[in-house]
Amino acid sequence: MTPIIFGLLVEAALYTVVISGVSIVIGFLIGMCVSAARLSSNRAFAIPARVFVSFFRGVPLLVQLLLIYNLLPVIGINVPSVVAAVVGLSLCTAAYQAENLRGGFASVPRGLLEAADMAGLTPFQQLLRIRVPIAFRLTLPSLVNEAILILKASSLVSVVGVIELTRMAQNLDTSLYEPLQLYSAAGLLYFIINRALAFAGTAAERRWNWGRA
Amino acid sequence: MELGARVRFDYALVASKLPEIFHALGITLYTWILGLVGACALGFLVAVARRYGPRPLDLALGGYVELFRGTPFLIQLFLLYFGGPYAGLSLDAIPAGLLGLSVYGAAYFSEIFRGGFEAVPRGHVEAGECVGLSRAQIIGRILLPEMTMLVLPASVNMAIILMKETAVLSVVTVPELTLTISAIGTEFYAFVECLFLLALFYWGLTEICSWLGRIGEARLARFRFAAA
Amino acid sequence: MSEPAIVVRRLSKRFGETEVLHEIDLEVAQGQATCVIGPSGSGKSTLLRCLAFLEEANAGTIEVHGEPLGFTEDAAGRRARLPPQRIRAVRKQIGMVFQQFNLWPHMTALGNVSEALKTVRRLPRAEAEARAMAQLRKIGLENRAGHYPAQLSGGQQQRVAIARALALEPKIMLFDEATASLDPELTGEVLNVMRALAADGMTMVIVTHEIGFAASIGRKIAFLDKGRVLLAGAPQDVFRKPRHPRIDQFLDTYLDRGAAMLI
Repeated sequence: MTPIIFGLLVEAALYTVVISGVSIVIGFLIGMCVSAARLSSNRAFAIPARVFVSFFRGVPLLVQLLLIYNLLPVIGINVPSVVAAVVGLSLCTAAYQAENLRGGFASVPRGLLEAADMAGLTPFQQLLRIRVPIAFRLTLPSLVNEAILILKASSLVSVVGVIELTRMAQNLDTSLYEPLQLYSAAGLLYFIINRALAFAGTAAERRWNWGRA
Repeated sequence: MELGARVRFDYALVASKLPEIFHALGITLYTWILGLVGACALGFLVAVARRYGPRPLDLALGGYVELFRGTPFLIQLFLLYFGGPYAGLSLDAIPAGLLGLSVYGAAYFSEIFRGGFEAVPRGHVEAGECVGLSRAQIIGRILLPEMTMLVLPASVNMAIILMKETAVLSVVTVPELTLTISAIGTEFYAFVECLFLLALFYWGLTEICSWLGRIGEARLARFRFAAA
Repeated sequence: MSEPAIVVRRLSKRFGETEVLHEIDLEVAQGQATCVIGPSGSGKSTLLRCLAFLEEANAGTIEVHGEPLGFTEDAAGRRARLPPQRIRAVRKQIGMVFQQFNLWPHMTALGNVSEALKTVRRLPRAEAEARAMAQLRKIGLENRAGHYPAQLSGGQQQRVAIARALALEPKIMLFDEATASLDPELTGEVLNVMRALAADGMTMVIVTHEIGFAASIGRKIAFLDKGRVLLAGAPQDVFRKPRHPRIDQFLDTYLDRGAAMLI
């Protein structure tokens, strides 16, 4: 494996990171909205939210990607394949993040809200000042976890023709016939990126840990 | 809308494809169940070996677990199916898929079981040692039964994940549902409709499995003990 | 004798099938500490939580300085729920200290104490924090103002919780087993704060296991058993021998814990 080839893989890995990063952020925003809808007492919001979460967690990501990639042109939205891929990844991660957030909100100890009641905070103030900050910190570990999962899942967008790490390795293989080296190198790059993510995650958790050891 | 106009309910056409669809369903279920069994068995062995074996083995297996949990399943499949022959391992699509699924799943199951071992209160194990049970007996008659309840939710979760990963096997030409339905869809110019039905199928299967899992957990809940 | 701070009339509360409070009548006098004691399951915490409106009673009324709390009941027993603003207005006069402290973990001690001043009273930050510091100084924790709850001991956390409640200048303070979660050597610092408060003339309702403390600080003791007020009065009257058999039974378990100071 020459440095040039490895360099191509590294460049493709950057695409992977960007695609994953954008999807995670968009997915988080969508996930927050879905989570809020889920917690709403208005059934017109709560039920579609539940269906959304159930569908995007119950269908394999590959099928979701294929569906969205082929559906968008049919309904008249013509975007580059990478956009379709990001849409697919975002929707999928949104469903998982909505579940994580739901768990986070449910884990806020009731006593803290009672104390807020006694202090005179309105329900909205409690949501903003107590529930969201605490739920976020409780959800942080699963957020990091989800980021790692999306990074690995992004390998599937190679199937819809997006040039990222996996696709690059495949393309190089068709001309170089060195699958062992190429896919091992790709795997190694994925591994390194995941490790870095996990490390950053631990650091972030420590920073937001309210002074705990 | 274009979508609806292109749906053809030509029953003869659909009927002619049914055998192929059922075969594909069979492959999906076959690879899933066998892969699941393999993953559980291998994962359990790894967990036991790591806990009760020599330290170098623990570290080596730990490396395996980290590697297979830290890299995409697709890359692992490519390595096995396309790279295998260069290393002397030439497998057909289905066996490769099975092996890939098992080794991938085993990495996750080994962590689940490891967590299960550790979650059984130490006191229960010590009580077993005090009455003179052997290592094997403690594992078999105390740890395993107590663990089953503890690891059930995570295991059901993982089983469902593996079921969804069978779709990825389509990329290495395993003739399971995703590959087959996609091909049929292309043949009939009804790709989106077919894919949508495929999605509904997986969704239904996932929901049923989750539901069964919840029932299983409820049944075993009576063995729940007040641990810590 | 001024009018009572709290008047409870025929208060009843059910949790599903179980009746936890049965037609409780109780008067809490102003400027004094009223202690509620009794065996577990007697409903004392529930009673206190009803006073804070954290639980809603099924029947009966609570009046705080003449104002009904939560519900009004007419002569025929029909209940009408009051609007949220009125409930909040009454609640403003009440401060509560919880067994589990319930400090907000993502805020410092100063943050906890000043939060309501900033968010609810809408005081400017500087003033809110100045007032909060004054409260912390009163309980001796001003040098811990920047610490998070996780960095404080149990006794310190509870004292911060008391400061947090006091920062809003309530007229009545409720204590729900404030020392029950503390290691024995830490209860002293919290009890001292409570003693100082009582000496200052704060109206307090204290649910506690610390019988000796209750007898020494309480001007009125209410003994609850199985959801009913068995006996209520001055400590010497409640504890005087010959005692009600139930009280005897209850005190037996405490006498060897240092409550022998009781007559």
